[in-house]
Amino acid sequence: MEYEQSNVIKDFPGLYASESQKINNRESDYSEDEKLTRKDLLTGKKKDKKDKKDKEKGYAALEGESSADEGYEIRSPTKSKKSKSFKFASKSKEKREKSRDKEKDFADKKKEKDKRIDKKSEKEKGKNDKKERPGDIAEELPIFGVPLELAVERSRCHDGVDLPLPYRACIDYLQMYGLGFEYIYKISSPKSKVLHLKKMYNHREFVDLAEHDVPTITGLLKMFLRDLPESIFTSELIVRFEEAGAILNVAMREKHLKILVGNLPPLNYMAVSWLIVHLYTVTLNEKSTKMNAQSIAATLSSTLQISQRLLTALLCHCPALFVDVKLIQYIPPLISTAQLPDEKDLMEIELKKQESLLSQIHSEMNAGFVSKQREELLWEVQRLITQLKRKIRSKNRVVEEKGIEEKVSHENTGNSSENLETERITATKKKDSQEVLNTVPLSLNNSEDNLDLNKKEINNASIASENVEVKNIEWDFPKPTEVDQEKTANVKITQEIESKSVNTLQTEDPNLPLLANDKEIMYLNLKNQTLLELKNKLIEKMEIEKKEIARLKLVLKEVQYKNQTEPVIIDSNSDNLDKIMELLQNENQILHIKKINLVRKIMEEHEICIDLSAKLMMLTASC
Amino acid sequence: MSKKPTSQPALHKVIMVGSGGVGKSALTLQFMYDEFVEDYEPTKADSYRKKILLDGEEVQIDILDTAGQEDYAAIRDNYFRSGEGFLCIFSITEEESFQATQDFREQILRVKNDENIPFLLVGNKCDLEDKRKVSFQEASERAKQWGVTYVETSAKTREHVDKVFYDLMREIRARKMEENKTSNGKGKDKNKRKKLKCTIL
Repeated sequence: MEYEQSNVIKDFPGLYASESQKINNRESDYSEDEKLTRKDLLTGKKKDKKDKKDKEKGYAALEGESSADEGYEIRSPTKSKKSKSFKFASKSKEKREKSRDKEKDFADKKKEKDKRIDKKSEKEKGKNDKKERPGDIAEELPIFGVPLELAVERSRCHDGVDLPLPYRACIDYLQMYGLGFEYIYKISSPKSKVLHLKKMYNHREFVDLAEHDVPTITGLLKMFLRDLPESIFTSELIVRFEEAGAILNVAMREKHLKILVGNLPPLNYMAVSWLIVHLYTVTLNEKSTKMNAQSIAATLSSTLQISQRLLTALLCHCPALFVDVKLIQYIPPLISTAQLPDEKDLMEIELKKQESLLSQIHSEMNAGFVSKQREELLWEVQRLITQLKRKIRSKNRVVEEKGIEEKVSHENTGNSSENLETERITATKKKDSQEVLNTVPLSLNNSEDNLDLNKKEINNASIASENVEVKNIEWDFPKPTEVDQEKTANVKITQEIESKSVNTLQTEDPNLPLLANDKEIMYLNLKNQTLLELKNKLIEKMEIEKKEIARLKLVLKEVQYKNQTEPVIIDSNSDNLDKIMELLQNENQILHIKKINLVRKIMEEHEICIDLSAKLMMLTASC
Repeated sequence: MSKKPTSQPALHKVIMVGSGGVGKSALTLQFMYDEFVEDYEPTKADSYRKKILLDGEEVQIDILDTAGQEDYAAIRDNYFRSGEGFLCIFSITEEESFQATQDFREQILRVKNDENIPFLLVGNKCDLEDKRKVSFQEASERAKQWGVTYVETSAKTREHVDKVFYDLMREIRARKMEENKTSNGKGKDKNKRKKLKCTIL
């Protein structure tokens, strides 16, 4: 088409004027559009200038086919001015619309691209896009061929593993499909395929590696590594790595390599560890991959810019060097609200991923790379985040409501308990939050059960030997403050003691008349005395605490009543204090465990004290 | 592109702007879920989608609830750019929030570069008549000056909540139809431009 035109111009020189006008018109159209889009973009001035230059080149190139030479000669400044002013004055509105049209066109092209219906036409369109767009993200913020940290920043894995996405995707793919592939890494694929993938990554397009074969992916990984401006072993450490790799003594070599690996910057450590662990698994599957450490080293040492010897050494020492490294397959952020997880943990993980993705989109947009597609994505991700947040919040609310119900039911059937801890929790609950409430019913439960147990035991005490029972009560006392497991454990202990002391009693009874046991009887009697004293003291304390509990319950009921009259305030509190609640709960648990341990120690010490004091009394008596 | 709208309902993108605490989220949630949340939690950004019947036609509405606080101004521009219509909200009980609408209007015009962008000035919290600080007159005048409609709403009582969203969507729809008419012609023209010129020659 264009060629024909230029021919026409050649043949009919008289038409130059209108032709040049046409060219100028086209130019002015573009520049107007440009202005508009640029305004829209709000990018920095520097970028604009750059863009403009790029674009001018771009247009020149586009027109070059047809009439570049002639066109430039023909154009006269006066004429172009005329045409421009004519255009501008008449239809400024249309231009705005044109710019919008163009955006639509672009979006269309993008969509087609994604579908990958026709690769050739797509490529052409891709080129056109680049020239039309103000600034090309693949050129200005590429992922390949930049320092590792930039690659990570620009193409994040949103699950917190700091590897550039293409790098991670390649390793994921090869771990999945490559370990049964003969001569993996040795067989290469056409460079065009690899370059195509690289281009897609640089353009931030969605890439599905599963559509490609193993050699293409190894090629892509190799290309990523080769494109890095600095070795992943860092230029500072690479010499020392080489030195360490050359050490003959195996143990020494391992030791040195381990230190060096530990000295790598975090991002480099990540990249190195994943790569070496991956390559190591390739060598482990030597039967199917036909690749051992030596052959891998021979194929990849040049790519990694290290010696074969060093790479072999790294592979051989891999299990020792990267003990904790696990290759986790990357699950990208979800793309539709329909598949949102239902479990709270999964939702929170997903939320983090989406938020990471969102911030990346924002940073790309703030850098001036705005496209219809990216805007769509921005809204989509934002919507997912909103949905996730709502879901998590409603889940939390359900949990809270359950907690309140439980609490209420327990309060209604509530018995008195001698549990100080319960009071403490209720006190904190009143002050802070409802989450904490959830623990209250539990401890109430415990204390009720324990109370029953205690009562039974006290009753038993009157029937059975006091000796045994006092011991039991003493052991029971810390019990109410403890959680379920502890309680059962204690019950067991109590039972054991019971049986033991019963045994001792049984053995004691026939021995009573024996003189040899007189001392022991005296000792036991003395001990019994002190324990009885203790028992009385404890019973007194129990009474006092029962009163206190009754008092606190009244207070609690008042508070509850207030809460019921003002339910909205409960919500607001709980919503705002979600995090604090969690923290408090955790803290509470830790303190709980600490307390249990302390109580145990105290009881043990106490027993020893009683024992010792009994002995002391015995000694003084005998003296 | 031209085929798509027939298979999928039209999508209108609405952005809520206004100072912090004027009730942007409250209005959005009331519209979306018929719920009124009284506890205040500053929004960073939230996005919702809903299918509705607009004058018998099924359409989708995307609502973006933005942050009123200046802290999030940087990300706000990214959203403004993609908005097709704006609800500019202030609280009739707070003079400053009314003053701030001026800034928001300017920001939107700066980003969209379009005086006629679908836009509604919304005075929220109209259930709190006894605490009113901004008169209806005052707000209407500003709206008139901008060439937009002024509506008073209450997210609490749901008064005029649907109205503001539907009115705005109608504006967006009208705007799009107008564009489609001209752009369809333009689009053809653009595609055939080279050819046309040739034949003219």
